[in-house]
Amino acid sequence: MSYEKLFETNISGESAKAWKASGKKAVGYVCCHVPTEILLAADVMPIRLRATNCVDSSDAEAWMSSFSCSYARSILQYLMNGTYDLDGLVQSDGCMMATRILDNWEHIAKKNNKAQFIHQIGAPRITNDTSIGYYKAELQALADLLGEFSSKKVTDESLKAAIAKTNEVRDLIAQLSALRKEAKVSGTEALRVMLANCDMAIDEYIAAVKEFLADAKGRKPIESRARLMIIGSALDNPEYIKVIEDKGGLVVADDLCFGVKAFGDKIVVDDKDVLGSIANYYLNRNVCPRSLDNRPAIHKNIVDACKEYSVQGVIYEKMQNCECWGGEAYYLEPDLKAVGVPMLQVEREEQMANAGQLAIRAEAFVEMIEK
Amino acid sequence: MATQNFDPTQPVNMIDLTCNQVDSIYQHMLSKGMPEVMWTVDIQKFVWEEVRDAHKNGKKLVAFGGPVPVTIIRAFDCVPFFLDTIPTRIASMEDLAGRFIDETEKCAPTSMCAIDKVQLGVALKNEFGVNIDAFVHATVPCDSARIAYPMMERLFGCPCFTFDCPFRHDDKGYKYVADQIEAFVPWMEQLTGLKWDAARKAKFREINEESNRSYTLLTELGNLRKKTPCVLPGRMLVLNEIVAPLAGTKECTAMLATQLEMGNMLADMGMSGTRCPEERYRVCLMQNMLWSNTGIMDWMEKTYGAVTVMDGFGYQDGVIMGDLDNWEMVKRQTAESMLLTPMIHGATGPTEYWLKVIDKMYDEYKVNVSIFMGHVGCKHTWASGKIVTDYIQEKYGIPTLYVDVDAIDPRYKSNDELRAQIGEYMESVVGAENFTK
Ligand code: SF4
Ligand code: SF4
Repeated sequence: MSYEKLFETNISGESAKAWKASGKKAVGYVCCHVPTEILLAADVMPIRLRATNCVDSSDAEAWMSSFSCSYARSILQYLMNGTYDLDGLVQSDGCMMATRILDNWEHIAKKNNKAQFIHQIGAPRITNDTSIGYYKAELQALADLLGEFSSKKVTDESLKAAIAKTNEVRDLIAQLSALRKEAKVSGTEALRVMLANCDMAIDEYIAAVKEFLADAKGRKPIESRARLMIIGSALDNPEYIKVIEDKGGLVVADDLCFGVKAFGDKIVVDDKDVLGSIANYYLNRNVCPRSLDNRPAIHKNIVDACKEYSVQGVIYEKMQNCECWGGEAYYLEPDLKAVGVPMLQVEREEQMANAGQLAIRAEAFVEMIEK
Repeated sequence: MATQNFDPTQPVNMIDLTCNQVDSIYQHMLSKGMPEVMWTVDIQKFVWEEVRDAHKNGKKLVAFGGPVPVTIIRAFDCVPFFLDTIPTRIASMEDLAGRFIDETEKCAPTSMCAIDKVQLGVALKNEFGVNIDAFVHATVPCDSARIAYPMMERLFGCPCFTFDCPFRHDDKGYKYVADQIEAFVPWMEQLTGLKWDAARKAKFREINEESNRSYTLLTELGNLRKKTPCVLPGRMLVLNEIVAPLAGTKECTAMLATQLEMGNMLADMGMSGTRCPEERYRVCLMQNMLWSNTGIMDWMEKTYGAVTVMDGFGYQDGVIMGDLDNWEMVKRQTAESMLLTPMIHGATGPTEYWLKVIDKMYDEYKVNVSIFMGHVGCKHTWASGKIVTDYIQEKYGIPTLYVDVDAIDPRYKSNDELRAQIGEYMESVVGAENFTK
């Protein structure tokens, strides 16, 4: 089947290589506040950097220290060891850990005489007219620089064409979510499909997901002991969800930045202000608790998703040294309790050293829900 | 370790407790007849009593965190209460700091910065001992603050204003903050019921004039520290970090003026306020100030003649305001000074900002011992650490000692352990003579 590529979680770099072979540029990005539409409009292939299956990040640790988040550190490792061989890196100041990937990579690349397009955009942490205006100016600067870099000027027309494509992806992921709701697609599979979007060329991705959805629609629902939702720090390892699902849970919903939230609703374009529409969309999207004014809205989204997907338990995974996703329990847990949904908190590292412990805790959680 | 005149099992009134402690130090110094150092306590008395008595004096108490335009808060006749002063004040008191840190760790990550853990812990326990009328905070310095502030907003349940600080401190960024200052003024009008009228603007002008005086003195103090030998002790840097929240007050100017006067006098007499038998080394502490053990700087002075001449986070580079009658310019310069606040200028933004601070310090202060006193909560500065220390090695030929510490939680590392680490470095890498042996 041609959609098999969706399930290869290793970072092969194959699509990026093919893209670059045609004389075009491929640029990495970190976090959800870099609008891929701008890269696509400049005919640059956006590669969302991830750290899946990174088993050793010691070289990067020398740069970022052991106090850093292992996900961010592992991404730097993949840049350093050539797993990613790209033309550059664009980043927003997602969280301070993610931000330092750029600082370090810029420095290391320069030291190694590796030519890179490096650019940081500021992404505000509150949403209002002033911050959207600032963000739009940041995006305009990115669009101008990328246009120069790729020799393809970013125009309203090219942005609209890119939005049409990303909206198509958003629509497909909404269909994927509907199948998760019907228990026809597991959480492990769903994360694999969504992760594939990080490294595949968009047309190839759209075609593959369409085929997968067509097949999955005809499936019988998966039997499970508990319908679960997973939330928390950047999770780019489907094996993590598999450990939970092997214990009888079915992860039917998520609130992860590599999950459905990375896709979100469609962008509505105002023809008179296309870039403004993008800025408005990305800043209003409740994708990450890095912002200071969206916590209650994020919590409400989670509670609403629990109701909509008949979730019986929430697993809140926190990466060690991740502050962004560190403090949600205090207000979220009571909100979930009010709708009868228990929450399990687990700490993790990018390298899955504690799968056995996760399995034990997941099993106990599923059992508790069953009772 | 500081005296702990409280029962850790009972609720604490932080403001009363601190005022009482500062007052006993004050009385003690009075009774001992130590007029030459009274000014160091006078300023502390002012800070804490101003907060304690805000309501008694008919003023609103505006708590704040991160870089905010304190001068505007003062112009609206409110008392700004810098919440960071609580953790830095109690950092050497193991039971008290631990009490709040432990409370926060029940609901937030242990990896969070203890500056924020303490503030949040006090809020969770509701032990500030004063009612907060409003909370103004910023989206920097770091992810720890970004967990703490929204939670504190909800715990305080009072009107709140958030400044979004841009990652890059460039023209666009200053304009962005200036636009938010424009919006802050009507918010303050609503909070206080006072108008931004001619009288208020005149008051604001006076505050800015005073702030200019403070920052001018601070620059002169910086220049004095550049001289060899440095006559001002390392621990004075800790005191001077108070300027950002206090600039614009006469008390702050007076404190800096006295410090400068004393420093110049010592220099003229060929004497020193440090504990050095002889200045041998000029140290830069390039990450956070070690509030949980400021005595370590005295010890370095006494033991190795190593004077901390500057610290990277606290490095003061205040903005002297230009045309005080030009609102557009004042807004813009207020924005600049917000983004130049200690902890913001070097730590919160591209690592290259920190390198700029390093250049200023290492060139101008003739640093020859480099210590990365790395506060464990400050993960993003650790993540810039190698870039910064490689730079120092390559450009200045100085190897850097890395020491992990908790700037606020004294339980993290004992004094003996810390001394052993620094001592080994000083003796085996720097080749320093130990004066006390
Ligand atoms: S997992 Fe947390 S700390 Fe790590 S990059 Fe993501 S938000 Fe930042
Ligand atoms: S010391 Fe570092 S971690 Fe702590 S509040 Fe300051 S910037 Fe944040």
